[in-house]
Amino acid sequence: MTSHLHLTVNGRAVDLADVPAPERLLDTLRWRLGFKGTKEGCRSGDCGACTVLVDGRSCLSCLTLTHEVEGGAVTTIEVGPEDALVARVREAFEKAGALQCGYCTPGFVMAVAGLLRERGTAAPREEFLEGLGGNLCRCTGYSAIVRAVDALRTEVP
Amino acid sequence: MTAAVRPDAGVKLDGTAVYGTDLDVPGMLWAAFVPAPMAHGRIRSLDLRGARALPGVTVIGPEDLPRLLGPGDRDLERPLFASGEITYRNQPLGLVAAPSALEARAAVAAVRVEVEPLPIVADLESVFPEWPGSSADASPHVAGHVRARHGNVESEFATADRVVSETYRTASVHQVALEPHACVAEIRGETWYVRTSTQSPFGVREDAAALLGVPEASIVVDGTWVGGGFGGKGSSFLEPYALLMARATGRPVRLALTYAEEFRLGRTTLPAVVRMDTAVTGGQIRARRVRLLLDVGNSLPGRDFATGYSIGFLLGPYRTVSFEVEGYAVRTHKPPFGPHRAPFAPQCAFVVESHLDHVARELNLDPEEFRHRHLWREGDSTALGQKVGPFGLALAFEKAQATARQWRTEAPPGHGVGIGCGFWSTSTGAGGEVRLRLGPQRLVVLEGEREIGSGSVLAGLSAVAVRVTGLPRDRISIEYGSTAEAPFDSGVYGSRTLGALGRAIEEAVVRLRRTLAERLGARGQAELSVERGEIYAEAGERRAALTVLLTEEERASGGVVADGRHFAPGGTIDERRVVAGSFYPYTDFTGAAHVAEVAVDPATGAVRVVRYAAFQDAGTVVDPGAAQAQVEGGVAMGLGTALTEEAIWSDEGRLVNDGLLDYRIPTLGEIPPISVEFIEGFAGAGPFGAKGLGEPPIVPVPATVALATRAACGAHATELPLSAERVARALKLL
Repeated sequence: MTSHLHLTVNGRAVDLADVPAPERLLDTLRWRLGFKGTKEGCRSGDCGACTVLVDGRSCLSCLTLTHEVEGGAVTTIEVGPEDALVARVREAFEKAGALQCGYCTPGFVMAVAGLLRERGTAAPREEFLEGLGGNLCRCTGYSAIVRAVDALRTEVP
Repeated sequence: MTAAVRPDAGVKLDGTAVYGTDLDVPGMLWAAFVPAPMAHGRIRSLDLRGARALPGVTVIGPEDLPRLLGPGDRDLERPLFASGEITYRNQPLGLVAAPSALEARAAVAAVRVEVEPLPIVADLESVFPEWPGSSADASPHVAGHVRARHGNVESEFATADRVVSETYRTASVHQVALEPHACVAEIRGETWYVRTSTQSPFGVREDAAALLGVPEASIVVDGTWVGGGFGGKGSSFLEPYALLMARATGRPVRLALTYAEEFRLGRTTLPAVVRMDTAVTGGQIRARRVRLLLDVGNSLPGRDFATGYSIGFLLGPYRTVSFEVEGYAVRTHKPPFGPHRAPFAPQCAFVVESHLDHVARELNLDPEEFRHRHLWREGDSTALGQKVGPFGLALAFEKAQATARQWRTEAPPGHGVGIGCGFWSTSTGAGGEVRLRLGPQRLVVLEGEREIGSGSVLAGLSAVAVRVTGLPRDRISIEYGSTAEAPFDSGVYGSRTLGALGRAIEEAVVRLRRTLAERLGARGQAELSVERGEIYAEAGERRAALTVLLTEEERASGGVVADGRHFAPGGTIDERRVVAGSFYPYTDFTGAAHVAEVAVDPATGAVRVVRYAAFQDAGTVVDPGAAQAQVEGGVAMGLGTALTEEAIWSDEGRLVNDGLLDYRIPTLGEIPPISVEFIEGFAGAGPFGAKGLGEPPIVPVPATVALATRAACGAHATELPLSAERVARALKLL
């Protein structure tokens, strides 16, 4: 089954022709639309590198069929400064040095943005740490990432 | 400590950094390996016709190599494809290329291969059932053998107050860089061109040339951003195959591993068994006997670096009067051994620390005092007779003891505090070169390594350039080039970047200063400064804006050029102590002592690390933010080796846990608070006495966690990782 789909990606309307039913959102973003900032790691939902936001909620794009998000609004790491929340997360990561090789970084930034949007800064710290348990990082040992999250939680928006 | 803003933060936070997996060339084909269906067997037939009949599909097998590669001088010892005999599961039998990933997978499925099974040797210990009772020299499974001795070992053992003997086992661990291996190859005229995610573009060029039988000058390797290396991207892997397929099809070819392939084909640390015998007389270690069986998988005989290098980490960092050491690199039906951050050193430190702690307990001596008293100090001699250089380990250990004392007064029941230590030496590789270009506005450092994430290139080298030129950081940029553009460098491995390229920058800056002084008509070396946006040079009484000092040609090309190179020679070992094989001297001595507080669940044996402190001998810290990040990351990776990471190989040579759900690396919630303190003043071989920091922080971690676990519950672990199951066994809960 293939069909035409309509999505919004980073605020811009996108028409997709002939999307096969098994096509993953990850592949649509990376290979159809060229948003390669969304990273492919395990392709099985274990590493979190492919995390994007769909209608503001964080989502593993490798386990999501593009057909499932028909009509939805997708936000990727390429989103511009008009997305103030993502911009804040980026700034916090930069200040805390919360990245090394950078491969997990887009997924982490989107996952943190999703948690902030869903739960707000008042949510308990443990909720954030638990909510990021599905995003793997091999370089930083997470310490700097946790410092970035702590800074975001305590800053006044 | 506030980390300096990383120069690469921008491109990594807006998604514009292009990694190997992101390479996308119009018209490219997607390639995939045809994997061997078993770990050992004779190929009866390889039928590629079904795959070749599919539309748009190209298939290459061993029989196509002579036609595609011609009569060049190929490294036939390392065939690209198995032909005749299969020696590990998933070994490439052929390569397919198709217009899409899906079609490539369908083509792989259409290949028919018939294999006559041969006996599989997957378990290291099944090879030499009598070891260490009898010699293993004659076995066809031996890929390398090292042996050394010093002093009168037999009489020390015969007359000792006490001899303690133990056997340790350590697991296979994987690098788990989040970016799988990936490259895109093209043939451009006469040039074999490949863009790839690698720690060593020049290493890939050299290796691809040998495998393909083409001159190095015909191959150009261009590095991308690297999504984690940890040793796994240190030499060529996919590149020769992708180049071969590009030659066969005349199209650009993308070859990338799936994450399952990443695990199955990964070249990494394999299992090992170590037998330790220690003779103590009058509270002093008089003699040690160390015997190692190291699984090197499908590594070729004579190509084993691991045994001779690793075994040194089983002898140090402790004084002994006499010793005997013997190691075997053992071939099994697994993929070849490859480097994993400080290859095999964390496992060695786990064995040495756990064993010497145990020895002291058996003798009713204070285990920490016993270890501290025997630690190498500067001026001591290693087991192989190398003089120990400036070494901050004893001081690190004392600081660790102070922290441990404090933590012990605070730890609740069920918790334990332990200290572990270890050492590492920066590798030199084949040296490195840089080219500086100083223009009126900025200094460009051109070099051949890519920043792999550690910060050694973009943070470390720019900090060195700031310090030696006196120019502000925003006037200095690091530029990469392909192997056709950049000066030679052997690659990002062995914690060598800061030392080798940093010293090369120092040398180049001296040349640059001399050239500028000459142009000013002065002697000596010119000083650089920035005034009203312009770079100025000053020597003697003379001073001029750089733009005035440049030739017309230099003004057009961007500035005056100076080259620097560095090759740090290692120390020397006493060859009279070597009986067989090769041992390696150290360039410098980098120590680290760590403290962990752990809680052990008395019902399950599960170990949780509560807090952690690292005391790192660093020589001189060049970039505080990058240095701290290396220690935090190294500790976290070491916690995986200590507690959860184990690549499990079945008796059939199949990797059982080939995904991130079953091969468990630490997750965010499992990392304790880590405090980091650097010990400066024990100078290393790098610029300003710096020591490389990529690898040293991982070395003491498994030892530290093991000794904290023993302190918490009494479990004496002799195997890694310290899974709940193993701790429960040690506690006789199972």
